[in-house]
Order: sequence, then structure tokens, then C-alpha cells
Amino acid sequence: MAGIVGLLAFDKVWNISRFLYYSMIGLQHRGYASSGVVMLNQEMRSVTRDVSPEDLEFQLEGWAGIGYTGSRRGYPIHNDEVAIVVDGVLREPENFLKTFARDRERALEEAKGAFSLIAMTRDGEIVGYRDETGVRPLSLGGFGFDMGIIASEPVAMSVIGGDFRREVMPGEMVTISSLNVKSTQIKEPRKAYCSIEYVYQARIDSVVNESNVYETRVRIGEQLAEEKPIEADTVIGVPDTALPFAVGYSRKLGLQLDLGFTRTGSPIRTMLASDSFLKIVGVQLKLNPIKSAVFGKRVVLIDDSMVTGTTLKNTIMSLRRLGAKEVHVLIGSPKLISACPYGIEVPEDKELIAANLSEEEIAKVLGADSIHWLSLEGLSRAISKSTLCTGCMTKRYPKVI
Amino acid sequence: MKVLLVGDGAREHAMAEALASSPQGYRVYALSSYVNPGIREAVNRTGGEYTQGNINSREEVAKAIKRFNPDFGVVGPEDPLFHGVADEFRKNGIPVVGPNMAGAEIERSKVWMRQLMWKYRIDGRLRFRSFTSLEEASRFIVEYGGSVAVKPAEQVGGKGVKVVADIQAYLSNEKRRALSKSVDEIGSLVKNEVKIIIEEKVDGPEYTLHVLTDGHTFLPLPLAQDYKHAYQDGIGPETGGMGSVSGPGRLLPFINEEEYEKTLKIVQDTARAIGQETGESYRGFISGQMMLTELWGPTVIEFYSRMGDPETSAIIPRITSDFGYLLQLTAEERLTQAKLEVRMEPSVVRAVAPLGYPLRRDMATGKEISLDVKAMREKGCLVYFGSISYEGGKLVTKGSRALELVALGDFEESSRKLDGCIKMISANTELVYRTDIGRTLGEQVEKAEIVRYSYQNRIRRNSLGVSADWAPNGGLW
Repeated sequence: MAGIVGLLAFDKVWNISRFLYYSMIGLQHRGYASSGVVMLNQEMRSVTRDVSPEDLEFQLEGWAGIGYTGSRRGYPIHNDEVAIVVDGVLREPENFLKTFARDRERALEEAKGAFSLIAMTRDGEIVGYRDETGVRPLSLGGFGFDMGIIASEPVAMSVIGGDFRREVMPGEMVTISSLNVKSTQIKEPRKAYCSIEYVYQARIDSVVNESNVYETRVRIGEQLAEEKPIEADTVIGVPDTALPFAVGYSRKLGLQLDLGFTRTGSPIRTMLASDSFLKIVGVQLKLNPIKSAVFGKRVVLIDDSMVTGTTLKNTIMSLRRLGAKEVHVLIGSPKLISACPYGIEVPEDKELIAANLSEEEIAKVLGADSIHWLSLEGLSRAISKSTLCTGCMTKRYPKVI
Repeated sequence: MKVLLVGDGAREHAMAEALASSPQGYRVYALSSYVNPGIREAVNRTGGEYTQGNINSREEVAKAIKRFNPDFGVVGPEDPLFHGVADEFRKNGIPVVGPNMAGAEIERSKVWMRQLMWKYRIDGRLRFRSFTSLEEASRFIVEYGGSVAVKPAEQVGGKGVKVVADIQAYLSNEKRRALSKSVDEIGSLVKNEVKIIIEEKVDGPEYTLHVLTDGHTFLPLPLAQDYKHAYQDGIGPETGGMGSVSGPGRLLPFINEEEYEKTLKIVQDTARAIGQETGESYRGFISGQMMLTELWGPTVIEFYSRMGDPETSAIIPRITSDFGYLLQLTAEERLTQAKLEVRMEPSVVRAVAPLGYPLRRDMATGKEISLDVKAMREKGCLVYFGSISYEGGKLVTKGSRALELVALGDFEESSRKLDGCIKMISANTELVYRTDIGRTLGEQVEKAEIVRYSYQNRIRRNSLGVSADWAPNGGLW
């Protein structure tokens, strides 16, 4: 998982380094174990470290640059001619760089993987490409009369005061230079938008995959209410991603909505933490439950997904300790049963509780009164798209890479 | 009857075409700085004459008047007006469309324009500060929070406007640093003592209302909107306009009747104020380059003392009554007799420029373009020639927007026609144009709706136009 961004100022009076820095912070919800930039002035210079973009210090100056924040090390990669950042999976990136420097259309046609990428050339072009599945998002925007921007999500533009214009289409290459903005269709689109983007990956102030993320998540909550109405006293969403689900669920059933948790420390994404100990400590540190929100109540607890179940088990236990009478669990996505070959960090089958146990067994492990996952049909109804990648939920993958 | 047209761009081509096809049977004479292929054609078709010279020189215009002895004149661009070309016509007793130098000040001097609006308390005015010292201007920008627009104090071909939206405090320094660097560049464009004007920054969808006046009667034309960003999808540096839309009817999809009427009143009030201030009535086009803002609703960004380009190309083809005759009636101060009929269906204009426009004009100059105007017309596109000259049978670019293509029909239909026609143009360079114009009206409608909530709320609170900024060292502004 990664957030990628490319920025180019049309006039060289601009030093865009702070703009790049803040737009990367805007994307760090997509992954932040490693981050890096390449800036272009006379030449390309790079900084890459295993820290989140907030902690990435770089003193580079330039009028164009690209940035990466994500779970993979070593991005951006570059040679003398070109630098790239990738969200998703691109095979043999070094070879790709070489071919790209010579003939970019051919390089993109031949590239193996499923990805969005942003490249910067030494002669001052920013190139964005989204593969024909569109499995990873990419969008296009500007900052006044001064800059063009390509980024994973529109939030990278809005945090610096820029304007989102449109999404890059699957199979489309967009080129920004100081002299023109061009669009070339490299491949016919074969849309397979990533379901996980809608469910928890993208930010709720974003527009991705032709949908408004906040609206979509509220609809998922409403869909859960259709599928599994529960007689309860309060609805609680696990912060931050599951909050809109809880809003939709409570709205649909006229149930009270409560804020069940407050946060300690910085918003570390539990699912992104590599170490399993950190996952447990992470979630307890992160989510401190609020007693008066649950005491003596029948609680509906909504989360976005379930991987090992560890996080949820702990959460449920702490709610019971604070006096929740019942805890019913709803999950805003269908069961995750298979790994993602396209760069979303879904673990292998053996680590996925839903791939190994029955619902009854899972409820037992978690200590929940009941448990329900959003149905696959419910997911496509809430997203109102039929061109989805649901590989991690169905083991049916749209593209062999 | 003979008409002498001064100017050389796509706007003047559209005017020449309207005059040439008028049932009044005008003979079109023209003075341009280069041979515009479209004006040339209109002149030849009507048996007029075409001469080249400096369109900003009163002497050369006087010479052309003597030579052609026209019955009336039309001055297209602003620069000749700033140099007194309309005065020259009137001095020779020739009625003309276009204000005298004194009136054209409304466009030439941004400071005079704002002062006038404040003096006469005309709606849609913005707070401003003017600066003779570039240093002071830079200091002001760095000192004040809030968003500002920095402009050259005079009209210099639409160049040099910089806007800073200062909502992201954490980027404030970056934006201000870049802006104060630009101040020197902006200042260098201006010859007069007052170099820079800084205005409060407003936001919202833009539109233009063109009004014809003979000093007594006002005749408003249908609204148009131009698109300033150079490149596809509204990205890129500022230009004179890469295209425009007009309609349906006399409105645009995002401006309502009430806003149209308010805008017209602003333009009329301004024309009258100019009359009082200069002691002579304003005659010609006066065009409000407007923005619908949360502060005022209709708000003045600037005034044109002529028609906008590329707005002209969107407007003239939609007028079904005799536009050429309208020009004559304006010049002769008989506008009460005018009648204006406008097609309901909208139009879309797409400008085509050689690669290099607007940042590297050297690259955009001297390139060859070829096209078949007749075949394009059969596909539903009108072609107006802009910054391109006819040289020994070839069409050679002059560094700016070379062509403007117009299609009529609903916005999507027009855009599709233009997609087809653009492909029929060939050139020995890459061409820059925008296919998104005419396809983003939905976004404009939403933008307008957002500012409408706020300005209507201001009307209820009786706080229309009320705003201020404060800085610890500078105080209240």
C-alpha cells in the first residue's frame, strides 16, 4: 500500500518542497513505514528513509518533485534519466526504468504488475499512469495557475490548497510539463476497482474509483442495517474508518450513535503494523473505550474488516469490562479469505481467521454475542459498481501478474 | 456603406464576418498589424481593402481614415483604445464603436477602476491597495494574512495576475515567498508610477457580461464564460483564454435571471460613473468580467472597454439578428432602434495554440498550420483566425492562440463536434487545446450553488460586501 504524488510548478520561482511534504502527509493513511522524495532542480536528487513522511526531513529545493509514502522500502527509485514511485505491484522496476527512459509508451505497455505510478523525467515532465484495471487509484489536479499535481487521492491536493480536477482513467497516461498537459490512452480499460479502497483504504474526504468515499461508507452502514438489524441500545464504530458505517447503521435503524473510544497517541494504523505485539499494544494504546458510552447497554460494534481477529477480540473484551451487556459485531466488508497480489496488505490465507474458521467458531474466539459480515451483493449494492476487484474476498482475481 | 475595422485577432475576424454577412451590404475595410486570413477573406468578399500597420498609432489610423473614408469605424482590441484611436475617428467626424481614451481608462487602470467603484459605491467592488514601491507591495503581501490577488496596476494584455489563497497556514511562507518574487516581474510590466494593485481575493465561477452602449441606451448581450488555464482539465498557467461557452438563452447554466439583472446594473452604473467622471459619455462596449462570490454575488474582477476574446467567438454566432447593423447603430448613437435576437442553443469555443503558448512564445512563433475551413464548417464548426498570418499562401503562427473553433448545439454535442474538427487541423508543431471546455458546466453549477448559499445569507444579514483583514503591524485593512 502506498500514497504517491507528483508536483510540477510551471514557473521556476517556486520551490515546491514544502508542498510535496504536506501532500505526502495527506496520503500517509495509505501507508507510512517508509517514505521518500526526488526533487528536480538542475538535476534529480533524492532522499529516502524508513520513517513516515511527517518525519522525513529533506532540505532539497526544486520546482518539480515526486514523493512516496508506503509500506515498501526504497521508493522513489531512479536512474539519471527518470525517477518513479509506485502504488501497487510493478515487477522488475529497474528494467522498467531503463525502458521508460527510452520509450515510455512501450514501457507501460509491457510493464508487468497491477499499479498506479508517477514518473519524473530529468527534462521536467511528470507522468502519471494507471494500469488498465484501475485497481490502484490516481487523480489529477492543479494549484492555481502555478502547479500541476498527480496523486493517489485528491486529499494530496486539497491539503496544499490545490484543486482536484478528475481521476486518471484505467489505462490512461497523463503527462504534465511546463508547456502542456496531455492524455494518452495506452491500454483499453478493463476496470476492476479495488473494493478495499471503498471500505477502508481511501480517506473519507476523497473521491476515488468514481465514488465519493464518505457517502459510500455511510451506504455500507445502511446496507448492514438491511442485512442484519439488531435490537440494541447503541451503535459504536471503531475509529476512524468504521465511523461512517456506524453513522449509516444508526441512521437507518433509528438507533442511538455513540463515540465509544478515544485515541491515545498518534493514529497508527493497526493493520499496517508489522509486528504482532505492536498490533495488540497498538490497538489498546490507540483505542481507549469510554465507559459511559457502553455501561449497561446492548452494543452494536462496527469495524471495517477482520484479519486475525486479535484487534476485535481485545476491543470486545474491554467493552464488556466497562459494562456492555451485549456486544454484537458487524464488519463493513465481506470476509477476507485470501491475500492480495496487487499490493494491499492482506496477509496470507493461513493468517486470516475467516479463511480458517466458521462464523460460529469466530464468534466464540472473539467472545461476541453475534457476528455478521457485509455480503458480497451488499458490497456491490453500496458501492453501486459492478466492476470491482474482490480478490481478497472471493479468490477470483481480475489480472494475472 | 463603408466600415473601417481596427484590429487583427479572432475577435476582429468574428466582427469582420458579421459585418461582411450583414444584409446592410457593408464594404469591410480593415487595419491590422499582420494579415489575418479571416479578415482578409471578409474584406475581399465585400470589395473592401486591407492595410497593414501599427494599430496603436493614431497617425496610421488617421491615414487609413483618409484613405478609405469610412462611414463608421469599429475598434476591436483594447490597446488602440488606450492610445486614442477612437478619439481619432471622432476627431475626423467618423462615428465609431469604442470609447475615447478617457473612457477606456476603466480597463487600462485597475486602480482608477476600483477608485471609481468605491467613489460611486457601485456594488460588486473589492477592497484594494495600490503600490508605487515594489518593496512595500512585497512587505504588504508577507505581512497580511488572508488571501490576496496581486495584479499589475495597468492592463498589460491580461498578464501577470497572481493569486494567493492563504487557507493553509502551514504553506503561507512558501506561497508568499513565491509571490513576493513575482512582484518584481509584475512590476516590470507596468510603465506608470503606480505599479501594483493588491485586492482581497474572492472565489467563485466567472462569467462576462458584454454591454453595448451609445451613451444613452444599453444593450446587453448574452453571457459568456472564458477559461483561463492554458492546459487540459483546467491546469496550467494563465492565458488570455483557451475557450469559452455561452448560453443557453441569454444566461449560463450557473447564473440566474436575478444575478444577470444585478450584473447589468453594475455595468450600467459604472458606465454612467465614467461619464460623470470624464465629462463625456461612454460609447462602445463595456464588459464586466465578473465572478459570482460569497461576498457580493455578482462581483467585478475587471472591466473591458471592448469585447472579450475568446468570448466574442461564443457570442456573435448565437446572435440571429444583424450584429453588423448593431455596430453601426452603436457608432451612430441610434441604439434605441436596435433589436437583438439570440438563439436559445448554447455555443462552445475551443482555442488552438501552438506548443509554447503561453510560457515560451518563441517556440510558438513561426509555425505552419493548415486546415480546410469549408470541410470543418460541414462538420459543424466555425473557424476564426487569431494569432496567425497569411504569408505567401501559408498560415504562419504569431505566438499566441492561432485559431478559435466554434460549435453550436447543447454543450456535449458542441464539444463532440469540436473533437472531430480539431483532428482536421494539421501543423508542424504540437497543438495545445482543451477538450474539457463545455464539459464541466456541472462543476460550475455546484460552485455557484455553494457561493449562493453564502451571499444570500449576507443579504438576509444585511452584510453584502462587508469584509476586512487585519495584521498586527499593518492594522485593519
